[in-house]
Order: sequence, then C-alpha cells, then structure tokens
Amino acid sequence: MMGWIDQNEFLIGSTLTVFLLAISIQIPLRLGVISFASIGYYAIGGYGTAILMTQHGVSTWTSVVVASVAAAVVATLLGFIIARLNGLYLAMATVSFSLLLSAVAVNGGSITGGAIGIFGVIGGITIWHTAAIAVVIIIFVTFTERGKLSRRIDATRVDSQLASAMGINVTAYRRLSFPISGFIGGLAGALAVNLKTAIAPESVNFTLVVLALTIIIIGGQASWVGALAGSLFFVWLPEILVFVGEWEEVVYGTLVVFAAVLIPGGVVGLFNDWRHRRSVARERPKVALLEAAAGESDAELTQSRSGKDG
Amino acid sequence: METSEATKAPTYDYEPVAEARGVAVHYGGIKAVDGVSLGLRPGNISGILGPNGSGKTTLLGALTRMVELTRGSVWCQGQDYSDVKSDRVITLGISRTFQTVRLLPERTVWDNIILSTDVVFKREGDKVEGLVKEAIARTGLEGLEKARPDELSYGMQRRVEIARAIAVQPRLLFLDEPTAGMSRKERTDISALMRNLRSEGLTQLIVEHDVGMMVETCDYLYAMNFGSLIAEGTPQDVVRNAAVQEAYLGKHGRHDA
Amino acid sequence: MVQDLLNATTLASIYILFALGMSLVWGTIGILNFAHGSIFMFSAFVAYLVVQQIPLGMPAVVAIAMVSGALIAVAMQYLVFQPIMKKAKNPHAGELQLVIGGIGLSAIPISFAQRSTLSNPFGFSGGSFETQVYTIGGVIITNVMIIILIAGLGLGVGTALWIRNSKKGLALRALGVDPEVSAMMGIDRPKLALATMLYSGALAGLAGALLTYYFNSITSESGDTLLLKAFAVIILGGVGSIFGVILGSFILAFAEFGVLLYTDGSWVTAVSFGLLFLILIIRPQGILGKKEVRRT
Repeated sequence: MMGWIDQNEFLIGSTLTVFLLAISIQIPLRLGVISFASIGYYAIGGYGTAILMTQHGVSTWTSVVVASVAAAVVATLLGFIIARLNGLYLAMATVSFSLLLSAVAVNGGSITGGAIGIFGVIGGITIWHTAAIAVVIIIFVTFTERGKLSRRIDATRVDSQLASAMGINVTAYRRLSFPISGFIGGLAGALAVNLKTAIAPESVNFTLVVLALTIIIIGGQASWVGALAGSLFFVWLPEILVFVGEWEEVVYGTLVVFAAVLIPGGVVGLFNDWRHRRSVARERPKVALLEAAAGESDAELTQSRSGKDG
Repeated sequence: METSEATKAPTYDYEPVAEARGVAVHYGGIKAVDGVSLGLRPGNISGILGPNGSGKTTLLGALTRMVELTRGSVWCQGQDYSDVKSDRVITLGISRTFQTVRLLPERTVWDNIILSTDVVFKREGDKVEGLVKEAIARTGLEGLEKARPDELSYGMQRRVEIARAIAVQPRLLFLDEPTAGMSRKERTDISALMRNLRSEGLTQLIVEHDVGMMVETCDYLYAMNFGSLIAEGTPQDVVRNAAVQEAYLGKHGRHDA
Repeated sequence: MVQDLLNATTLASIYILFALGMSLVWGTIGILNFAHGSIFMFSAFVAYLVVQQIPLGMPAVVAIAMVSGALIAVAMQYLVFQPIMKKAKNPHAGELQLVIGGIGLSAIPISFAQRSTLSNPFGFSGGSFETQVYTIGGVIITNVMIIILIAGLGLGVGTALWIRNSKKGLALRALGVDPEVSAMMGIDRPKLALATMLYSGALAGLAGALLTYYFNSITSESGDTLLLKAFAVIILGGVGSIFGVILGSFILAFAEFGVLLYTDGSWVTAVSFGLLFLILIIRPQGILGKKEVRRT
C-alpha cells in the first residue's frame, strides 16, 4: 500500500489539487453562478506561493496561506464588482478576469518569469498534507450539503426568484461564495505549484477551466462526491488507458457532451435518482391512489377548462 | 416629484392589509401596470380579473417587490415597503404562489414546503414541523411527503405550492392563478380551502381569468385591462360592468397582450 | 497611418464575420455557443484537406468552408443544443448545460485537427489562388483584404438591415425577447433556431477561409482565440444588436492596433479581456444594447 502510494505520489497529488480546484468552481455553481474565475484564483495561489517562496524566502506554509488569502481577497472584490451581472454575463466577466491574470503572468517580467514561469518551488509539502487539507475542505463542504442550508442553496441555484420569495437573500449567498471559492481555488494553486515545483502561464489557461468544469459535470454539480469522483476519473483515466491518453481531448469532449445532454445531474445525480426511486417504490401504489382520489383525468380537465373559457 | 398626486394616501373606510398607491411598472415603452391603486380588505378574499397580458401578474410582482416600481408605492399595515427587498417581503407576513409551478425538482414535497419557513422561523425550528404538517393536511397532500414534484400530477404540484405558501402562516396570501390546470374537483377543493383560510382571518388576493371560480370564491373583485383598473366592486357588480364585459368577457382570448 | 487604419479595418471585418453568427444565435435562440470557434477552425481545416488533394480556386475553397461550417453547426444544434433546451427544467439550468455542451463540443474538432496537423499551422497553399498585392499611394492592399472588407462590412450591414426590416427578422427578434410570445405568433422555434445556426455556421466557415487566406495559415487553436475576442465584440456592442457587432469589432480591432503600436505587442491578447471586463462593469448591456427586460 505504502509502496503504491509512493509510486503514484504525483498522480495522487494531482487528483487532490484538481479536486480542490473543482470544489472552487462547484461552490458558486451550486448557487447558480457560472464562474470561471477559479482559474484566476488558482493562478494567484500558485504564482503567489512561488514568488513568496523563491524570491522572498518566505516559509512554505506561510506562503501557501498568504497566497490563498490573497486569492480570497481578490475574489471578494471581484464578487462585489460583478455581483449584479447575471448568468452568462457573469460567466464572461469571470472568463476575462482569469485570462487577464494569465496575460499579467506572461507580461510580469522577472516577477512572474514571463512565458517561462517560475521553477524550483520546493517546500516539502507531502501528499499527506494535501490529503489532510482536502479532508478539511470536504468536512466544510459537507455542512453546506445538509439540512436547511443545502435547501437554501438548492433554491438559490434552481430558481433565484423563488428563493428570494422564500426569504433567502440570494445576493448575499452568491457574494459569500466568492471568497470561499477564492480561498479554495488559491489553495489548489498553491498546493499544485508545490507538487509540480514549477508554474508557467500555460498551466493557468482556459484548458484548466475546461478540465475542472468537465470534472464537475461528469461527477455531478450538487455534491463534493461528484467532484472527487470526477477528479479521480479524469486524472487516472489517461494513465489506465493509453488509448485515452492519445485521444484525451476527444474522449473528454464526447463525455462532456453526453453528460450535458443526457445526465445534467452527473453521476452523483443519477445515483441519487436511483436511490430515491428505490425508496419511494414501496409507496408508489399509495401515491397513485391519492392522485386518483384528488383529481379526475387530464382529458376531462382540459375539457372543463376549454368549456369554461369558450 | 411626479408621484405626489398618485401616491397621496387614499382613504378607505377600512384598514387595508396591503395597498398599492398609484403603482406603475413600465418596461421600456410597455406599460405593464399603469397607475393602479387598491387597498385590500382585511379578512376578505379579493380577486383581480383580467385577460392575459392585462398586468395582473405584474401587479402581484409589484406587491411582492419582485418587479421594480416605475412610479407609486406599496404599503403594508400602514408601512411603505416600496424599498424593501423581495426577500424581506415574506417576513412582512406576505406569502405567494406563482403562475407556473415553481418547485425544486430534486427535493421532496416535504422539503419544498418547509423551504418557506426556513428563514422566517429561523429561531423557532421546533415549531416548523407542526406548521408543515398542518399545511400538508390542509392541502390534502398526506402520504406524499417523500414524493418528488415530477412524480405528482400538475394539480398536485399546485397544491404543494399552496401548502408552501400557507406553511409560513402569512397575514396576506397572494395566489397567482391557483387553479390553473386543475380538475373540477380540485378547483372546488382549493376554493373550499381558501374560504376556510378566510374564516381564520387570512386575507387573500387571487389573480385568475376563470370568471366562474372568481365569482364563486371572492368577496371583492377588481378588473384590470391594459395595466389599469377598469372596475371594482362585488363580484356580481364587476361581472355585470359594461367595460369589463367589453374588455374581458366579450372578446376573451383575443388579447395577445 | 493610413496603412494601419486599413489593416485595422480588415481585422474588424474578420471579427464581424466571426462574431455576427455568434451574436445572432445568442441574441435570438439564447445559445452562447462556445463551439463557434471550433466550427470556424474546422471549416477551414476541411477546406485545407480538400485543397491538399485538388488545387481549387478561392470561390470553391470558400464554398467548401461555408458548407462545412453550416453542416457542423446544424449537427451541433440538432444533436446537442436542441435536446438540452428541450430537456431543461428551467432556462437557467439549460444555460449552464448549453455552455458545458458547447465547451465539450469544441474540444472534439480541435483535437482532431491538432492530431492530424501535429499542431502545425495549415493553409491553402495547395490551391490555385494567388494573392495580388496593390500599392495605392504608398498604401498596400491585397485582393484578399478587399474581399474580406466587402464580405465583412457587406454581410454585417446587410444582416443588420435584414433583421431590422424583414418579417423573418422580426420573428427572430421576437424569439430573442420572449420565446412564449413568439410561440403565440406562430413561429416555429426549432426550425428558426436551426436556420439561425446554419447561417451562423456558414459565416464561421467564411471567416475561417478568409482568415486563412489573409494570414496564409491558421492553427488548430485559432478558433479559441477568436472565440474569446468575439465575446468582447458581442458584449461591447450589446447582445442581440447586429450593428453592435460591427461597432464592437471596430472598437476591438482599433484598440488592438493601438496597443500594438505603443507597446511591444505582448499585451495585445489582453486588450479583448480588458475591454470585456470593463464594459461588463460599466455598462453590461453594451453600447447599443437595451437594458434587459428579462429577469433571471
């Protein structure tokens, strides 16, 4: 077991950091905010940590924390600036935010290392540290997936107008998702740069957003389990199937399209549907009976309506 | 200020539960609602009658602060709540249903109903369960608590909406076409439920275009067309009103808004 | 100076050709097509594959690209976007699925082209078309530039006028404002949506072929770059406004040229993101757009 972990340390680390990035995108998504800004937070976390460690001699963990907090602060500001935008406009704004940051990375001269990036970020973070952080995040996210809070989150995502009629302060919830998403996204970047010991502009481009979105869509939007399942799937699949490695993008693209068309809830959504169906199967006859008692057939209903209207 | 005349407090010989004072809602050049004033009688079931596109639902939107007022103000218990955000309206004791079914598809009936109490009774969690059970019993949804909306008929889904709206024990209930798509028996049930709620003192405002149901259920009717009130009074008076007949009954279904 | 203005106008015309169909699709049938860039690239790629075998002239190459673009777009609409829209429980949920579907779709042609070209640039050098260079008063202009200018400005203005004045255009605008009302007007939504996609795909193909002629080659990733620029163009002008697309294209092209003139050029790519971000903060409905009536 330990030997296996040692051998696959890089892949396990990648899975965990990709998982954190996916969570960072998933949190606003669960509130109905399509945000691509996580890639920007990831860049801030990654570059921030790399700059602090290699150019200022700051200790590893201090760098990680400072860079992640910086990402959260930037995210908060971004949230205030673009909170009034809705739907696709907000998505666009976050795309441009992230790409602006990658342009800054390219043009940052000696601070960001330009097109080459920053090398030699070696801080002794092990996958055990990363795993522990991931567990803490999972525990936090679990709280948002239970009881009242999860109900409010669902309502905000599914129908924001309904949510506000129910007394839910939609804007506040959505705004709050920004710093949380920012911190976790920054953390993902900070840990990733330590894992890879380097960061370059092309590692924080649009492709990464696509990967993270893919993970969530395949796994499921509504739960961290989906993000984890998706991360495992996408990091390990190319390793296991060489064929997939070669045709990675085609396979991913096709899977994403299938998921978008056929299973909007992702794999976790499918599982929940199945579990629900099983649990109500026993009560099905009762439901039918109640329905029959309460209503007449739809045919008659239409008739009575058109009769009245005519 | 152009609003001075329109929003001057009108006098009613009763204390209105909620009031619209010169409310106007314009979208660009479209005047969805254009200067409507009304005061809802306490303990009554009032109804707004009007063809599609006459501005009924927009007026409800204004009264629940979901659409922005172009002019005028809305009042509840003598308080101007025109600047109140839509998510605070439910805490004023105003609850509503929607024209179309708006339920959370992946949540159970129980979850959908309890949602309305989440914020209002934040600190009284223990009393919520009783309220939800009561709402379920009153709307005839017993036994369906664990079902998801898509497993219910349309009429049943509408009942879930009504249950959600009354679970929070509002002072004022807005119902936007509550019986649309329901069978005759269900309509009678809902009508009975509404009268039942009235006997307990709940003020209600229904928006409908089913005249029969409105005359049967309401104590007081308003008729709207092209964003304005064209008549108000007892159901019989309003239905007999010439302008109403012309605008609504005479050529029903020919208004393409 | 005149040369710069001319070059910038040519670039603007390419942006118009690219963004026109995208804006139309977004503003009317409500699909923000993230795969538009890959339609653009793959149409040129198909034409390239044909030209490798048969030395065709420009009209044939452009026609092949346009037909390919139209077919790909229609296939996407039919197989992916339409089913998503039909299944969506509410418009908002549909929105995300459409974005995701588009992102997934775009990956497929791009990676095919990448593998086939080994990520090298490709062009129509196998064809029979020759670029002619004219010098008028010290200003250099090519026949390709002239064609691009005519196509971009002509189709841009033509489409804008058509949308504004024709009956079908009215139907399209109705679709953009309120799908429900348009259904009441007796508009066959799926059919109109398919037609819009077809037009949009053909325009993408046209843009792909002309851009390839203009720069002599493009790469598999060119579509993505243009896609992001098109976001800026569309939002700058205002979603759904075709004159807005023209205006947005000019603003972006001239801004990029300005940055190119006064800096070392590495910031050029940031111009579109910067403008996009700025306009979204200052005036999200765009310069020519009206404030959205629709609510979330």
